[in-house]
Amino acid sequence: MFSLFSSVEVFLETGLVFSLIAMGYYVSYYILDFPDLTVEGTFVSGAVVFGIMVSKGINPWLALIVSFLAGCVFGTVTGLLKVKLKIRSLLCGILVSTALISVNLVVVSGGMSGDFSGQSNSSISYGRVVNTLHDAFFGDIIPSRVNNIPLRNPLIFLIVAVACKILLDMYLKTKSGLILRASGDNGQYVKMLGVDPGKSTVIGLAIGNGYSAVAGALYTHISGNVNQSMGIGMIVIGLASLIIGTSLFKRVRFLKPTTKVIFGAVIYQACLTVAQKLGVPSAYNKIIMALIFTLALIFSGKVKLKGVSTKC
Amino acid sequence: MLKLDNINVSFNKGTVDEAILFDNFNFEVSKGEFVSIVGSNGSGKTTTLNLICGTVTPDSGAVIFGGKDITKLSEHKRARFIGRVFQDPKLGTCSNLTVLENFALADNKNKPYGLTVAISKKRLDYYRQLLSDCNMGLEDRLNVQIGALSGGQRQAIALVIAGMTKVDMLILDEHTAALDPKSSETIMQLTDKQIKENDLTAIMVTHNLRYAVEYGSRLIMMDKGKIILDKSGEEKKNTKTQDILHIFNEISIECGN
Ligand SMILES: Nc1ncnc2c1ncn2[C@@H]1O[C@H](COP(=O)(O)OP(=O)(O)O)[C@@H](O)[C@H]1O
Ligand SMILES: [Mg+2]
Repeated sequence: MFSLFSSVEVFLETGLVFSLIAMGYYVSYYILDFPDLTVEGTFVSGAVVFGIMVSKGINPWLALIVSFLAGCVFGTVTGLLKVKLKIRSLLCGILVSTALISVNLVVVSGGMSGDFSGQSNSSISYGRVVNTLHDAFFGDIIPSRVNNIPLRNPLIFLIVAVACKILLDMYLKTKSGLILRASGDNGQYVKMLGVDPGKSTVIGLAIGNGYSAVAGALYTHISGNVNQSMGIGMIVIGLASLIIGTSLFKRVRFLKPTTKVIFGAVIYQACLTVAQKLGVPSAYNKIIMALIFTLALIFSGKVKLKGVSTKC
Repeated sequence: MLKLDNINVSFNKGTVDEAILFDNFNFEVSKGEFVSIVGSNGSGKTTTLNLICGTVTPDSGAVIFGGKDITKLSEHKRARFIGRVFQDPKLGTCSNLTVLENFALADNKNKPYGLTVAISKKRLDYYRQLLSDCNMGLEDRLNVQIGALSGGQRQAIALVIAGMTKVDMLILDEHTAALDPKSSETIMQLTDKQIKENDLTAIMVTHNLRYAVEYGSRLIMMDKGKIILDKSGEEKKNTKTQDILHIFNEISIECGN
């Protein structure tokens, strides 16, 4: 028998990291119906920006904010391609995430040396430890381990995820946020209010990719390195977490969707951990990921993925 | 006030399905007029409204509003001075949001939608008043999602929303057609009240000949992209539903419906 509890920090940590992508998808996909493929690129960008800044001695919390902003900028580009040039949603994401491969490469070569081509799993380690979010915030107050379970990173990630959740909830209650929700539902109505719904598309994609970049930053914070292929799979993880969260807690009225999404992300990672503990070889990881996602889709009755079939 | 000047519109240009709808179409509306438009299916009524609202851009010709050429102005910018209610009650409101949230959004029309809190408690009484004025059993339903309301109730709210901030012109496209007879009657009365109280210039497309005769100050009939009948003033007042029905039947038989 295995104990799920013994690896609680692993799936808690990764779950919280990926909950950010899922929250981003809550805005871009769930609300705006935009299947955004940019996130795999912005995930890496966030990691690159964070890693380089921290390894140059800049405060990691500041680096986290700059990562967010970088993600916002790239998301904005995707949004503008869609709104100004009327390119199909899927293509916009493909274009920007392809371009980001070069952008990330150029940024990395400006800050570090090493092979970042993404081939043969090459990755670059930073010149110094980047796992510094905790020390820069709490100093030594929190014990690093309790019962041999590391505490600091899960706690820091929880703080980041909850802060992002609260900010998003607050935004969605503003006039701009309400217009964004209306844009996803009925663009014609938004036009009647004298507003271009395209504006919401751009804002939504900026938020979605900003959050994805923060996720990338947190990811590199644990792993201590970056590589070009670390973004692969983030779309599935983000969507699966979103759909598991929103469908599992569909009837739970008192939970905000953003909260459900965080639970969804952690549960998804827990399922993957269970699969590994049961002895499924790690080569099958992505199959398991896709499988759990499919199950979630079936059980949520969302097999007809809203948006993907009609609007891409 | 409004002028469609030598408008040409054709669809599916350059394909075998090319169809010319408007060939040098002209249409003028003066301030304060309430125009009812009737006509057979496909005669170009909705397209006329789409031209005014900016949903359709003409191949050539000009749309003049209040003396300004608005032919190139986008749909959402025209919405600042033109209100619109559609046939489909779903289009005029946002179903995922509550009645209150819909009102809060509409209340802010023509002002920036920024990062301030959307819902203002101070306005709640005003919103409740608007709801009870509808006579649709909507009192105390501010916190209900619009999607849970009936078509008639949604259309009443769409009408309230379209008139919530001052517009120069109200556009109604068969806005009672999707409703049951009783709701349809209520909405029509609400519409008339709203137009009279706010001195609105209005254009209403309707399938209901009786509404066209009973309401409004001018009556127009369209057929195949042309205005074939245009009555206003005393002439309109003396028009009976029977007279219109007769002409309407003739054009309908011609095009086989
Ligand atoms: N987007 C479009 N594409 C092709 N044909 C159109 C389009 N919109 C309208 N039409 C055609 O133009 C004609 C007039 O349509 P419409 O203005 O909707 O008529 P009405 O509202 O009077 O029933 C119809 O024959 C219709 O098929
Ligand atoms: Mg029509």
